[in-house]
Amino acid sequence: MDERQIEELLPFYALDALTEEERILVEEYLAEHPEARQKLEEMTDTVSALARGVSRVEPSPRAKKALMGRVAADVKARARASRQQQPFLSFLGGMRGENILRAFTLGIATLAIVWVIMLNVELARLRNQIATLNDALVAQSNSLNQIIASLPQATPSNVITVSLKGTDVQPQAQGQLIADPNSQSAVLVIAGLPPLEPGKTYQVWLIDGGTPVSAGLLTVDENGQAVFLVTSEEAIGSFNSLGISVEPKGGSLQPTGDIVVLSEI
Amino acid sequence: MNREKNATAAPVRIKNESSVLRADDKTLLERLSDEILMARVAGGNPAALEMLYDRYASTVLGLSLKVIGDQALAEDVLQETFWRVWQSAATYESQRGSFAGWLFRIARNLAIDAYRRRNARPQAMPDVVGSEPILDQVSDPDVDVVEQVQSSLQHKQVRLALLSLSPAQRQVIEMAYFFGMTRQEIAEATGEALGTIHTRARLAIQKLRAELDKEEFEG
Repeated sequence: MDERQIEELLPFYALDALTEEERILVEEYLAEHPEARQKLEEMTDTVSALARGVSRVEPSPRAKKALMGRVAADVKARARASRQQQPFLSFLGGMRGENILRAFTLGIATLAIVWVIMLNVELARLRNQIATLNDALVAQSNSLNQIIASLPQATPSNVITVSLKGTDVQPQAQGQLIADPNSQSAVLVIAGLPPLEPGKTYQVWLIDGGTPVSAGLLTVDENGQAVFLVTSEEAIGSFNSLGISVEPKGGSLQPTGDIVVLSEI
Repeated sequence: MNREKNATAAPVRIKNESSVLRADDKTLLERLSDEILMARVAGGNPAALEMLYDRYASTVLGLSLKVIGDQALAEDVLQETFWRVWQSAATYESQRGSFAGWLFRIARNLAIDAYRRRNARPQAMPDVVGSEPILDQVSDPDVDVVEQVQSSLQHKQVRLALLSLSPAQRQVIEMAYFFGMTRQEIAEATGEALGTIHTRARLAIQKLRAELDKEEFEG
């Protein structure tokens, strides 16, 4: 498709009426043509106004009640989660009277005794494990030294690995980002993301101070796993977070759907 | 809108399940811009979300209803739209566009998804061809704008801008925006060449922009 044909797609991009393949073509074109981006922004503003043209309809009070009830429950859940991060302090804050204090002291003493016994058992087990691991380490170090010796030209690497985790929307999601912070690409390994229904796609975002930049569309296999090459015009180290959201087919200019993964990098 | 940019944070108290706004909160929040309210939503403030809901719920419901044509489903979409706003507030970036534009895009996508789940595409699509426009009653601006709708200035401005389009241009815009039809589907449904659909869409958006600018529309 030549440039003129891609320019003809811009109104449909603004209207969100392109196939996924067409959207990708347009986005590649936009990345290299700032004047086209400017034109598209004006079209998108115009299209956004269309919603104002429909007759407004007053929702039933039930709709607002349901929404705010859901939000109130979420606020409570967040507060509860926050409290659970400081259980000991919360527990102490709730104590009243000498009897409770006595019971508390006795309980703590009992727990401490049980804890000491368990620690001794665990210590013995760990000592054995350390001895075994030491043997394995020595063997692996020898192998590694042989490999290093055979690769004298290898360059030093700054590669780091960052753990990624799912949000409350997709708590089972987890993965790793393997990157050289000075590089413009990184490898994303992710699991626990269910395959999406047709018309939806995962989109990877690199976030710098709250500004999400698309790093591409992500497709997972039937087991919810994917290995993905994250690319960026800026060094990966210049971003402070990575997120994955669910977007309409073809992706979005900024996140509009559920955020399923969000972690600091 | 007349909004104060640097007001201090309002106290928030949960009164009941349907409202978190006290009268004094409401007076203050009413003066804040969408973007400042969104910053508060991102900080977990339900009162700010409720204010945005009060501002936009009727437009979002109108939009969803136009797409789906079912009040109950449209109200589900309305609720889901604002739930997404609550959950995704931290990802909203005001430099990239207005809150209203972002909100309407979420609502429109959710409504089209709901519509497609309910109806096997493209059964309902051909109904658009030759029928009354989705943006209805635009053929009678006086009745529509003043008597029937009695809506905001923005609503009036957009409707008048839509009047400037030819029926064929308006149809292309409606099929794409309200039904999520691709350009190929529109060409097939209207029996027109793809090039004709391209031209209509391009001219329609240009004309809308010009009319909205002329009316000093502020989205």
